[in-house]
Amino acid sequence: MIELKALTKRYGNFVAVDNLNLLIPKGEIFGFIGPNGAGKTTTINMIGGILAPTLGTVMICGINMESDPEKAKRKIGFIPERPYLYEKLTGMEFLKFIADLYGVGEDVFLIKSQEKLEMFFLSDWSDDLIESYSHGMKQRLVMAAALVHDPEVIIVDEPMVGLDPLAIKMVKNLFRSLAKQGVTIFISTHTLKVAEDICDRIGVIHKGALIASGTPEDLKRQVNETDADLEQVFIRLTEE
Amino acid sequence: MKNIITLLMPRICSFKGKRFSKNNTGGLFKLLLFGTIGIVFWGGIFAVSLRVLGYFKEIAELGDILACKLLSMIILTFFFLLVFSSILTSLSKLYLSRDLSLVHSLPVPSYKVFIARWIESTADSSWMVIVYTLPVFISYGIVYQTGFLFYINMVITLLSLSIIASGLSAVLVITAVNFLAASRIRNIGLFIGLCFFLVLFFAFRFLRPERLVDPEAFATALFYLKALKTPAPPYLPSTWAFDSMKALLYGNITEGMFQLALLWSFAGVIVFMVIIIAEAIYFKGLSKTRTAQIRLFNYKGTRSLFLTFLSRPVRAFAVKELRTFFRDQTQWSQLFLVAALVVIYIYNFNVLPIEKAPIKTVYLQNLLSFLNMGLAGFVLTAVTARFAYPAVSTEKQAFWLVKSAPIPLANYLWIKFIIYYLPLLILTEILIVATNILLKVSPFMMGLSIINIFFMVPGVVSMGIGFGAAYPDFKSENPAQTVTSFGGLLFMIACAGYIGAVIIIEAGPVYNLFIAGIKETPLSGFMWIWIIGSFAAAFMINILAIVLPMKFGEKKLSRLLI
Repeated sequence: MIELKALTKRYGNFVAVDNLNLLIPKGEIFGFIGPNGAGKTTTINMIGGILAPTLGTVMICGINMESDPEKAKRKIGFIPERPYLYEKLTGMEFLKFIADLYGVGEDVFLIKSQEKLEMFFLSDWSDDLIESYSHGMKQRLVMAAALVHDPEVIIVDEPMVGLDPLAIKMVKNLFRSLAKQGVTIFISTHTLKVAEDICDRIGVIHKGALIASGTPEDLKRQVNETDADLEQVFIRLTEE
Repeated sequence: MKNIITLLMPRICSFKGKRFSKNNTGGLFKLLLFGTIGIVFWGGIFAVSLRVLGYFKEIAELGDILACKLLSMIILTFFFLLVFSSILTSLSKLYLSRDLSLVHSLPVPSYKVFIARWIESTADSSWMVIVYTLPVFISYGIVYQTGFLFYINMVITLLSLSIIASGLSAVLVITAVNFLAASRIRNIGLFIGLCFFLVLFFAFRFLRPERLVDPEAFATALFYLKALKTPAPPYLPSTWAFDSMKALLYGNITEGMFQLALLWSFAGVIVFMVIIIAEAIYFKGLSKTRTAQIRLFNYKGTRSLFLTFLSRPVRAFAVKELRTFFRDQTQWSQLFLVAALVVIYIYNFNVLPIEKAPIKTVYLQNLLSFLNMGLAGFVLTAVTARFAYPAVSTEKQAFWLVKSAPIPLANYLWIKFIIYYLPLLILTEILIVATNILLKVSPFMMGLSIINIFFMVPGVVSMGIGFGAAYPDFKSENPAQTVTSFGGLLFMIACAGYIGAVIIIEAGPVYNLFIAGIKETPLSGFMWIWIIGSFAAAFMINILAIVLPMKFGEKKLSRLLI
């Protein structure tokens, strides 16, 4: 479960995220969409504990990120937009690094790592240095690493960037399956089709503020265009 | 030509934007600080050059030979420094820069891209070498009371040498890249350069120049002076530059202009050649560098048996740190350099002519041992600056992994501290113990040195990690260079102050203890209070030096936006 209460981030006079309130229950996939510079990545970074908010709180499975960040982060699988990794480690070593940080047992790791590498089509590359991976492979490795400790919450920024169609399909199915198992997923994306396909609810952020939230049908009703697709709804909501 | 200027504009604009923007007050402060240090350093070179040349000038006949030989050596060194610097810079500018994909996608012929990059590379690789050799050449002009023409000739000569060195390096690099991958050439080039430097250094060191002050070695010196008159190789551009400067030093304008014309005609030929070669093979080479990395080693398995005693998160970071460190080939040459530094450091103490000094040997041995603590501290600072200071920056843009990991930032920094503390402690203790054995110091001084260094090393390492965390650069292609930044400068200043303070506080008490030991006289109560107070103060400084920089680094790093 993710709970954001009056979450605000200011950079000097500029308000990047303004008084954001959200409750995402267990097992829900929540899509976060908005124009460039709307505050999506800032919000994601605050939920992931990478950035401290100016005001407000982030609760992950009932744990306050500010007062108990290590415990809260242990619940999260974080997937950033750009997969910057330790280039001099192999894929397998990177997974081990993450597993050690999150306290995954040795035996569990052996099973999980093989499982995730196969799932993300990386088994043949597991002993190669990450510096030799393509962008898509790095993105898949980050996803594999985020899942190796069985997180209760997944936070993902632009999940499909750099992935081939086969991997996109696999990731969509994976997210649906994880949500069914009770994992809460927070997705920030520009790909409206992805949001429409897999998200239970969608939030639209514009100029730092949440301007609409609900199921795709709720959003359509909000702009009085029940036949419109999400793209048209998005344009209507965010146009000046 | 318009295209080339356009391609150079981003660099010019970013320079202007960085230096002259209205809101850049911090930048102005840094510019002033670095500028002052640069001017002081420049002035120091100028003062030393004037003094040495003035001294040479006073020695009849022999002085002129020495001054000319020195000039020849300086120009030769200048030229090879430029070549080495240009190889590294042009390799980076022509093949490794991140914006190459963008500039090569533009509708501009690749040779024009090459020319723009080459101009940038020439300026970047030579400006500092020129600026810091100028005081030496100006000193020649002043000591030999030359006319204004000497100074104009000096500037034009140095410019031509820069163009020649940069052109030759570019030819070498663009040819080599067609046979080897660019990323490997940089490592190989660095390694060869270091070997070249070390061979020169060892050769010079093992010649034992200190013997020249010994009258018994005078016969050897005469042979040496005979060798001084041997002319430099006539086919080297540095020889033409030397001949031109020497001619103007003695007022021979025609000869000077002839040599200068030789230089510029050669520079013209090199520019012409390099453009033709670049047009033929630059883009081919660049395409080759864009292929996948070749696997050199098999990295199968993830077990790290020797660190199993550590807790899981600590082990995760320790293993990651060690693996990434040793798999980065640029670090190997640096380790090699540190090993050479240790040998040279210890060897220098071995050849110190202590017994010939007018001061009592026992006193001098122990005085040197005491001062050696400070010297070893400065060596430690230099090594820490190279390895521990960039430790946080080496995370590069993967730092998000640290921020999102379920461990506190303080723990992360302390893990880094431990990783660098142990090897640096061993290194510094080796320096201290080995040199103390060679100096044959008293057991008291040996014990004091070992304990003192034991407490000083964590202070210096903590400053390295702390300041490195406070002023990280995650976007740098080479994090080792972050030490030349503002934070690196603060780290150096803080370390110098810390080491200096500890040595000064302990100097008086150690002297009294040492003299009392030699004279076998008891110390007064006041003396004991002073000694205990001083050591307690030094201990407190050590503790503060360990704790405060880490806190400072943690605080600044936690506020950092990534």
